[in-house]
This record gives sequence, structure tokens and C-alpha cells, in this order.
Amino acid sequence: MKDNYIIETIDLKKHYKGSVIKALNGVNSHIKKGEVVVIIGPSGSGKSTLLRSLNLLELPTSGSIIFNGVDIAAKNVNINIHRQKMGMVFQHFNLFPHMTILKNLTVAPMKLLKKSKEEAEAKAMELLRRVGLDDRADSYPSQLSGGQKQRIAIVRALCMEPEVMLFDEPTSALDPEMVGEVLDLMKQLAAEGMTMVVVTHEMGFAKEVADRVLFMCDGVIEEEGSPEEFFDNPKSPRLQQFLAKVL
Amino acid sequence: MSLKEQFILNFVEGARWKWLVDGLKNTLIITFFALLIGVAIGIIISVIRSTYDKNKETYKKNGGFGYYVLKVLNAFASLYLTVVRGTPVVVQLLISYFIIFASARNGVAVAIFAFGLNSGAYVAEIFRGGIMSIDNGQFEAGRSLGFNYFQTMIHIIIPQVIKAVLPTLCNEFIVLLKETSVAGYVGVMDLTKAGELIRGRTFSAFMPLIAVAIIYLVVVVVLTQLVKILERRLRKSER
Repeated sequence: MKDNYIIETIDLKKHYKGSVIKALNGVNSHIKKGEVVVIIGPSGSGKSTLLRSLNLLELPTSGSIIFNGVDIAAKNVNINIHRQKMGMVFQHFNLFPHMTILKNLTVAPMKLLKKSKEEAEAKAMELLRRVGLDDRADSYPSQLSGGQKQRIAIVRALCMEPEVMLFDEPTSALDPEMVGEVLDLMKQLAAEGMTMVVVTHEMGFAKEVADRVLFMCDGVIEEEGSPEEFFDNPKSPRLQQFLAKVL
Repeated sequence: MSLKEQFILNFVEGARWKWLVDGLKNTLIITFFALLIGVAIGIIISVIRSTYDKNKETYKKNGGFGYYVLKVLNAFASLYLTVVRGTPVVVQLLISYFIIFASARNGVAVAIFAFGLNSGAYVAEIFRGGIMSIDNGQFEAGRSLGFNYFQTMIHIIIPQVIKAVLPTLCNEFIVLLKETSVAGYVGVMDLTKAGELIRGRTFSAFMPLIAVAIIYLVVVVVLTQLVKILERRLRKSER
């Protein structure tokens, strides 16, 4: 393992029971510290499966996931400790509907990082101010718009002070006019040096923000590269086809 | 005998109305505490069952001691559900009184135990339905923050489940209230038994039995209204 790799996957495979299709068919990849990696690909290509494998929401069938030097896919690893360092943002936000926004943000830091209520709330309010939602601290998720919910979901992950943020199609469930506010927040995070892995269909975001783009197809990484070479000079025919459709 | 005379004979003479009051008291005590036991058992059983269902794959992969413990617990929970739901509550009550607690003579306590054990099976299924109805994204969000399975259950899932099943739970209370009418089988003077005692003493069936029925009906109607109010309030706080 190279020193500056925060996550590395080695020959990662996943097949679902009773299905001949391999969702992941030997994925070798790495994420460097401070890097923004965007994963694109057609639906069913395994890009979400790969992302969800990184924090073991999907259990790989075989292969290794090295996070900070530890193979977290191995038996008898306490995954909960490692997940605290990997923030995750979902397509459907998954905010806790029975809690206020402030409670959503503080429940994990208080119970898991053993922060005091004051400390956790101070941190949460500071982040809320940064995203301009501090006036919604006492609201419930159902009272927020989709874009606001997703920004809160990002803040909830940030409250755990993660080392890497995983985004699973964070703008796919949003109305078009709300996509911008979420992408802006993600750009801001990237600019601050957060390590990010993003599965998205937002090619503009990939071009502008990504350090590296991965193209997944049939459970493998078909092509990867810097956004410039990736979008302007794609080599694999599958990628050329895909880009012709989406651009 | 006129209705008035019948009324006086059955309720006023010998202050027999007090029997009904005592009977109702016992009925409510048995129902309330049985439901408490039922809810406790129900939560435990439903968490075991849904934990097993949801984590089979993970545990099988990691193997080890925890998997076998969970497997045994799940088998035990299934057995409990099958036995309790497959036998009449009267038989369970009789077994509790004459076999399990053969030396105990506190009928009310035994009835609470028996009805609690019985209710637990039904409450477990109510809760399991509630747990299953929570979007899997809630589990994933909890787990992705670093909560383990049980922390996710306690902090994220169960509070939502309780809110979702509260009306159904109150209906279980109403069902249970009526089921306790067989407590007289083990010598407990509940509401039904009180009516029977009056009938045995006065040799007139109409007044005491109709009175018993009306009391049950009034209690159930009042409770049903309370459940309706509760449902409405829960719905309001939702949106």
C-alpha cells in the first residue's frame, strides 16, 4: 500500500445470490488523501455497489478493502469504528424523521464520539451557519426542501469529522432547481481538501471538481483518468459510447 | 319481579355492586400489567427475529459464537410464537395456574403472567411489522454514521417504530381487556366472574350479565375514542 492511499480496493468481487451477473468483478482502485474521485457509468454497472462496499454497506464476496492500512473486509474487523471516519451521503437523504435537524446532527457525535451536548451542538450550529441553514435547527426534516435535506445530510456526516466522504448519487432525487445548492456545497468541501468519492450523473461536476474520474462498466473499472483526458480523449469504445449519450 | 326490584336484588342488596367494581379493578390491573409484560417481551422477541432476518448474511460470513447465539435465540423466539399463538389462552392460563405456579395462590399475579406471556407473542408481531415498515435507508444511515446494529435499533429505529405502532398497540390493549374475561377459570374475581357470582347468589341472569356487558362496552368505547384522538395527534406531528 502506498502511504498516501486512504482507501484501496484489491480484486473486489461481489455477486448476489441466485444471479449470474457479477455486480463487482474484480475492482482494483485507490483513493488518495485529499483527492476527489468521481465514479460514472451506466446504470447496473456496479458504481453504487462499489461505493457502498467502501464502508461495507454491501458485503463484498471476495477481495480486500484497505482503509487506513486495515483490511476492513476481513473477518472480525469492528467496522463501526471505521465507519465513523467515513461519512456517507445517500440519494434519498435518509435523515431521521423523528428528530429535529439539530438532533439529527448531534445524535452520532454524542453517542459515538462521547461529545457533550454543548460541544456537539456548537459544532453542529457552526456547520449549519456555514451552509446557511442555522435557522432550521429546530425544524423537522419533513419541513425542509429536498436540497435543504441533502445539505443537512452532508452536514450530518461532517459532524462526525470524517476522513473521507462517500456520495451515492447525491443529486439524483432532487428537483433540477435544487441540484445547484448541493453541488455548490460539495465543491466547497472539495476546495477545503476533503477526500471525496462521488457517484453521480452530473458530468459538469465531474469535469469541474474531480481530480480523477473512473468509468465503471459490467462490474469493472473500464477506464480512469484526469477529467481532461477522460472527457476530451476517451480511449475505450464503451466510454465513448456512454459519453456520446450523456453529453 | 319488576326491573326495579331486579335491580335492587342484584346490585343494591348486600352491596353487590361493589363486586362489580372490584371485578373491574382486577380486570384493569390484569390487562395493564399484562400489556407491560407483553410489550417488553414483544420488543425483545421482535428485535431478535428482525436482527436474525437482516443480519443472517453478515453473521454467517463472520461465523463465530455470535451467530450461534443469535440462531438459538431466533429458534427460541419462533418456538415461543408458535406455541403461544397455537394454543388457546384459557389453556395457557390453566397451565400457568395449575402446573407452572402450582403452589402459588395469587390468581391475579398468575393471570398477569399468563396474559402477559400470551400478549407478548402478538405484540412481537406488531413490532416486527413496525420494524419491517421502516425504510432500510434509516438502518443504512445509522450504520454509516458508525452506530452498531443495536445502537441503530435503540436510537434510530425503535423510536420510529413505537410511534408507528402506538395505535395498533392500544388496540391490542382493548383485545386483551376482553380476553381477560376468562381469568375466572383460575379463581380470579374479574369483571365477568363478579357478574357470575351475583348471578349465582340471586339466581337471576339478566341484570348482572347485561351489566357486565355494558361495563365492558363502555370501557372499550372510551378506549377506542382515546386511540382515535391519539392517532389524529400522531398524524399531525408527522407533517
